[in-house]
Amino acid sequence: MTATLAFQLAIAGISVGSIYALVALAVVIPFKASGVLNFGQGEMVTAGAYIALVLTTLALPYAVVFLLVVLVGAIGGIVIERALIRPIIRAPEFTVVIATFAIGLLIKGAIQLRFGDSPAAIDGPFGMDPLLVAGLRFNPTSVWIFVCMLLVTFAVIAFFKYTRLGKAMRAVSINAEAARLMGIRVESVWRWAWGISTAIGAVAGLLVAPVIGVNPEIGTLILRGLVAAVIGGFTSVPGAIIGGLAVGLIETFSGVIVGSTFKNLVPFIILMLLLVFRPYGLFGVAVAKRV
Amino acid sequence: MKRILSILAGAAVAVVPAMAAAQQQGVTADTIKIGAYGPITGPAAYIGLAGRDGMNLAIKEINAAGGINGRKITVVFEDDAHSPTRALAAVKKLVEQDQVFAIMSVAGSNATVGTIDYVRDKGAVMYVSIASAPPVTWPFARNLFRGGTTETARYGELYAEYLATNAKNKRIAIMHGREEYPRNEGDATVDKLKNWFQIDPVARVEFNINDKDFTSQLIQVQKANPDVIAFFGNPAEAAIAMRQARELGIKQPFFVGSNMVDPSLVTAARANAEGVTGFSLIPFLPGANSPEMKQWEANWRKEYPNAPAGRPNNFDLLAYGDMHVLAEGMRRAGKNLTTDSLIKGLEGIKDYRVGPVATPRTFSDKHHIGNLTLVPMQVKGGSWEPVQWQSKRQSDILSRYK
Repeated sequence: MTATLAFQLAIAGISVGSIYALVALAVVIPFKASGVLNFGQGEMVTAGAYIALVLTTLALPYAVVFLLVVLVGAIGGIVIERALIRPIIRAPEFTVVIATFAIGLLIKGAIQLRFGDSPAAIDGPFGMDPLLVAGLRFNPTSVWIFVCMLLVTFAVIAFFKYTRLGKAMRAVSINAEAARLMGIRVESVWRWAWGISTAIGAVAGLLVAPVIGVNPEIGTLILRGLVAAVIGGFTSVPGAIIGGLAVGLIETFSGVIVGSTFKNLVPFIILMLLLVFRPYGLFGVAVAKRV
Repeated sequence: MKRILSILAGAAVAVVPAMAAAQQQGVTADTIKIGAYGPITGPAAYIGLAGRDGMNLAIKEINAAGGINGRKITVVFEDDAHSPTRALAAVKKLVEQDQVFAIMSVAGSNATVGTIDYVRDKGAVMYVSIASAPPVTWPFARNLFRGGTTETARYGELYAEYLATNAKNKRIAIMHGREEYPRNEGDATVDKLKNWFQIDPVARVEFNINDKDFTSQLIQVQKANPDVIAFFGNPAEAAIAMRQARELGIKQPFFVGSNMVDPSLVTAARANAEGVTGFSLIPFLPGANSPEMKQWEANWRKEYPNAPAGRPNNFDLLAYGDMHVLAEGMRRAGKNLTTDSLIKGLEGIKDYRVGPVATPRTFSDKHHIGNLTLVPMQVKGGSWEPVQWQSKRQSDILSRYK
């Protein structure tokens, strides 16, 4: 493998890995705050792509489209949490997880009814002509996705570390009842955790739409997002990002090394091997409980 | 006495066919009940919803024109969710519970293959509009007919001949999905390239449905330096692969499978679709700039004013054309409509089509593959346009039936 080929594959791996990382991040946040694994998050990514598609047809500036996607995504998450998740939050964990799966199917069904199954496309903010740098080709939208992914990651890390709401979320994730006794409004924390995560999911949809197109199957990204989150440790924000990038790079390089037929299996094989040796992923830690 | 006998004989002549018709399941004096199935939920709903709507539009036109020899068509539709087991349950219900006369399949290959053995045994006519799975028409079954689509092997013949002769490509790379349909297209094309033109593909790579990155496959294709890249999969995947190919500096043209010769590929791939070639099962695609297609689309939109984007699609047209072919078979069967007379009616059809928006269908008592003629097309100026090209080779497929 030549150095140029390796660099070109690395660019492709980081590009697709950034997409997986954003989805993984959107899965990790509500899990950190409420312990709910949101299987419907893939469809929030799909919804974000379709919201962007509709807003783009209105010829709005990209910045306005971006802000509206964040806003609609956040409101959607808050409504879902209040109307559908909170009434069943004390049900067995498995029930809540299945409910999120059903919510995802509802969102997908509504999208299919309104838009059909035909794929559509939207432009990225910097056009789609590749950039040629030192003999390597970059898609400007992929660079934009990578930059946004880093910005979102730093913002989320800062949010958890420095804001009252972020600290409250960390407290609720460790022990919701104890946090309540300390005066934290647990329901409010859950609401914002869902709003933030669905906003990130919707932004992921907006960002990836120019690269992978707009169609109702975008939500299948959740599978790669989950693998990325598990590799990263599931409760770690940097872990989700590193997991996403790792899955993207592994897939792309294995396509050349072991062939296209097996390239999609390699990340799962590596995941299983990793879990054998590190059951809590790269950055996860075992939760100690007093008995 | 003689006069009474002749009246009785005349009455008998009139009554016997009517009695036979009355005994035929699903046929009454004024109605013909047919069953239909296809996926209207799940990932292949775009096939079944369109197939159902196209078929219903044709039935409405047929009934408005007086029906079939005085009988109106009624239809019972079942969802198969693109599953062979669901399809089999649907067909059993249609035959045994709903007591339909004949069955129209607007399902994909995956579901349709699940029904073949049962329908062969039951003997009712099943007319398959969309599925290209070989078991529909091979081995030959007297009660199974294939309409608008052709067998995968025929795709391979036409793709190989076009690629090797029209564009005179010697170095052909193949990218195909791992599911049944695109893999079969890839296999059939490779087989005919090898056996008819002694051409081995310079690269053959696979991908999965819903893949989002094709860099590793495209790098392998790029290294092989092909004259053309034949891509078999779905429009969403093709759009990503075509964009990434251009980003990697791959300038060779793409050729795509017939399911992608559809406006949705142009919508998804946009400028990267320019120059792409492929074969269409219908002479014009929805959105084409022909008066006949514009009129047909206007009729369709009048019937379905709230349809989602992307409709009508190719499957609306296929099922629409095929429902008219099935109706023509029933018309030719005459007043005494039975399974046997319908089979004979359909086998008498030669180059029949409802209008310029459909390809002609031909059946015989030797084979029931209605359509062996596909139309080569190329994306020019953002829409699919027919390419002047005629196949010069005799198909190997019909030789099996001699």
